[in-house]
Amino acid sequence: MPLLQVDEVSVRFGGVMANQGVNLHADAGRITGLIGPNGAGKTTMFNVITGLQDPTEGRVLVDDKDVTALKPHKRARLGLARTFQRLEVFGSLSARDNVLVAAEIRKRWARDGSDPKAVAEEVLERVGITHVAGERVDAMPTGMARLVELARALAARPRLLLLDEPGSGLDESETEAFGGLLLDLAREGLGMLLVEHDVDLVMRVCDLIFVLDFGRIIAVGTPTEIQHNPDVQAAYLGAEDPDDADHAAEELTHS
Amino acid sequence: MHDFLRYTVLGLVVGSGYAVAASGLVVTYQTSGIFNFAHGAIGMFMAFVYWKIHVDMGVPTLLALALVLLVLAPLLGALIERTMMRSLYGASTGAALVVTVGLMLTLLGAAYSFWPQGTARILPEFFAGSQFKLFGLVITYHQATVVVVAALVALFLRLLFYRTRIGTAMRAVVDDPELLAMNGANPKRVGQASWALGASLASLAGILLAPLVNLEVLILTLLVLNCLAAAMLGRLKSLPLTFLGAILVALGENYIVGYGPGNVGSYRGALPSIFLLLVLLFLPQARLKSGRLVGARAPRVPTLRQSVISAGVFVVVGMLLSGQMSRSDLATYGGGLAVGLIMLSLVLLTGYGGQVSLCQLTFAGIGAFVMGRYFTGGSMLGLVVVAIVAGLAGFLVSLPALRLQGLYLALTTFAVGRGVDLLFFSNSHVFGYGGQLAVPRVKLPGLSFQGDRAFFILLLVTFAGAGVLLLALRRGPFGRQLAAQSDSEAACATLGLSLVATKAIVFALSASIAGVAGALYGGLRGGVTQNDFLVLVSLAVALSVYVGGINTVTGALIGGVFFAVLPTIGAHFPKLAQTQYLGTGMAAALIGRFPNGIVGLISNGVDRARRQFAGAGIHERAMEVDGLAAPAS
Ligand SMILES: Nc1ncnc2c1ncn2[C@@H]1O[C@H](COP(=O)(O)OP(=O)(O)OP(=O)(O)O)[C@@H](O)[C@H]1O
Ligand SMILES: [Mg+2]
Repeated sequence: MPLLQVDEVSVRFGGVMANQGVNLHADAGRITGLIGPNGAGKTTMFNVITGLQDPTEGRVLVDDKDVTALKPHKRARLGLARTFQRLEVFGSLSARDNVLVAAEIRKRWARDGSDPKAVAEEVLERVGITHVAGERVDAMPTGMARLVELARALAARPRLLLLDEPGSGLDESETEAFGGLLLDLAREGLGMLLVEHDVDLVMRVCDLIFVLDFGRIIAVGTPTEIQHNPDVQAAYLGAEDPDDADHAAEELTHS
Repeated sequence: MHDFLRYTVLGLVVGSGYAVAASGLVVTYQTSGIFNFAHGAIGMFMAFVYWKIHVDMGVPTLLALALVLLVLAPLLGALIERTMMRSLYGASTGAALVVTVGLMLTLLGAAYSFWPQGTARILPEFFAGSQFKLFGLVITYHQATVVVVAALVALFLRLLFYRTRIGTAMRAVVDDPELLAMNGANPKRVGQASWALGASLASLAGILLAPLVNLEVLILTLLVLNCLAAAMLGRLKSLPLTFLGAILVALGENYIVGYGPGNVGSYRGALPSIFLLLVLLFLPQARLKSGRLVGARAPRVPTLRQSVISAGVFVVVGMLLSGQMSRSDLATYGGGLAVGLIMLSLVLLTGYGGQVSLCQLTFAGIGAFVMGRYFTGGSMLGLVVVAIVAGLAGFLVSLPALRLQGLYLALTTFAVGRGVDLLFFSNSHVFGYGGQLAVPRVKLPGLSFQGDRAFFILLLVTFAGAGVLLLALRRGPFGRQLAAQSDSEAACATLGLSLVATKAIVFALSASIAGVAGALYGGLRGGVTQNDFLVLVSLAVALSVYVGGINTVTGALIGGVFFAVLPTIGAHFPKLAQTQYLGTGMAAALIGRFPNGIVGLISNGVDRARRQFAGAGIHERAMEVDGLAAPAS
């Protein structure tokens, strides 16, 4: 039984179909990739899963339970957490307070007697931002603020974490460390759904990858399968031209 | 049957006038994203200008109309956009509202100053004296004109939005200004055009309606509420539904006049409020707000130690000063403290929580009422009951709008405030028309606050205590959560926080504080009347705390003193009517530029000075703007 299952979801914005009959699933302890060109509908999919956007059609299931009608906070309480592509940090608070708030909110609904302060420190340490924890987040560079969002999401102790382009704004060595962190988290049993433009990172950490293009899933497979899928190569550069496809293949396989 | 027909026709006529006005409101909201609270006031002001030009100076009808509708009103609209609204794009709901409410009060004060009350001014009907009969009903040409004009406006707007480039651009701007800019249109230009158009439509409605409802400053200004109720049916978006809403509101008003119970005037006036609340119940849940706000930066919160020390200093200095104060000074500054306490309730609600209430005095009034009516002995239990009742009232008010965007809650509070003014406070069992309800001063065992100075000191201590508590709240989990929620609702929801519950709690808590402040204010004055708690005064209070600084305790103090002292300053300028409205209105209209008010200005200044004086190696201590500074003497 998958932790998350998306069943035939479509989302229409006026004339645009942002998602069209999308089926995908994510499991505990695995990193599932969701990739696709700009405007493919990845963020929209995240919004549907977390309840910020009602689908025009289709269902979202968590532990085989239909949650399509549940409000965002109810879904969060089932163990979903996310980060945002367009940052949604608590800008007027310090990084530490961003994480602390999440731990406090979690304590309130989970009633698990956890100590929010301890949770916050642990998560800050884990993500490696303890040294800037006292700074206000709206004064931070984007890459750092993304890590704050990650830490905040982790403080809610989710079972499935949705990451929307968490790697943008990180430099090479930071990305390296970040990938390691994701793999560690997966090893501890956390399920993740990862939207990321950094192909290297995706190929390195994901167990399974779904490829969206113009709102439709055009391919599913392991990183190796996806790298050699001609449809994906074509879609990624938005061209049928074989030269371009070669180029795309190169990019996808990390030349 | 004949009567029914008559009321129906009247409703259709007046409703057509409302529709013209309401369509202007929707057009500006749609294109600039700013709800123009001053919409009715602009219509009012231009109707008076038209009266001045046409009736007073004798300029012929058509020329005067052209001058007002095609030149002056669009100019005013464009000017407003250029000077006040442009700094507001991306600002918080509160800041945007405060600026247009400020504009409304400014126009109100200006109109009272230019055209003092007491002189009857009559704006003639168009084609006065001409009439015709339809189904045995006499219909004046003016009435027919209103309906025809409304139909023409509807047609005009339809063509504008669907057949012209600027109209298409106007429709696009609110959906996606960036997209619009990419297509070559200039969003600022489009915004300006829409404000010009909105002002023109408001003026047209004012001129059409004034002969029907009276050329009277307040009546015309408050028509914004009728427009709002109408526009709500179309969710501030759909013009056809707005037209329908306008007709429904006017029909309702006329049927009430025709068939309503004794106290017809009040019910009629309260109808838009009731209509609005009913519509709200059926609106679908709003999408969660996301995206960052620009403007107000929350100041650092002082530690418990710092706030307790500041509070102590504040009380001691206040006590020393009170020794030098005359009885009238004690009343003025005591009033400032009581109003400052109401403003503290807004610091909690708006400054910390990001929600806006425009009817805080309504809760204060309920507090004064409960204390004066049921606890004539002045027992402390009274204050406790006051807090509970006012809190419940706040909870109830917030309920219908909580699942909607913040703007809707703010607009609802205004509607509720107006409704309570008309239906409750003016009721003879409450304060009564012109009546006064005695409100006792609280007693503590062994302590009496009957003396003016003693009561002043009680107010000092209460304010200081409330400030310390508020700051403690701010530093704790609840305060963090409020800050988080006002920074990003979407993020909070995806962490498992029920936004509605938190919002309701803050709203109730804030209403509670306002209620207690109202009871204390009543005690200070010895008694209260309905005029103390009018929703218009609530507006002035909300603006004043913004002027002081909406997110600090010090801001509430400055706001309270500002509010209390303005009328005494105004007394020196007999030419200016309603200095309270003029002064607060003009100051608040600048909030777009100075989102943290006076406190923000001071702290910026101090920051700059520090940076200049502080040598390189000196460790800078964080600025604490939120201490309870002693009042300037
Ligand atoms: N709220 C909205 N209203 C209208 N259209 C929208 C909305 N949100 C997204 N869209 C459209 O839906 C499509 C999918 O957008 P989405 O943001 O989901 O793509 P994405 O895959 O996340 O892209 P990117 O890689 O650029 O982040 C786009 O065409 C976008 O313009
Ligand atoms: Mg995206």
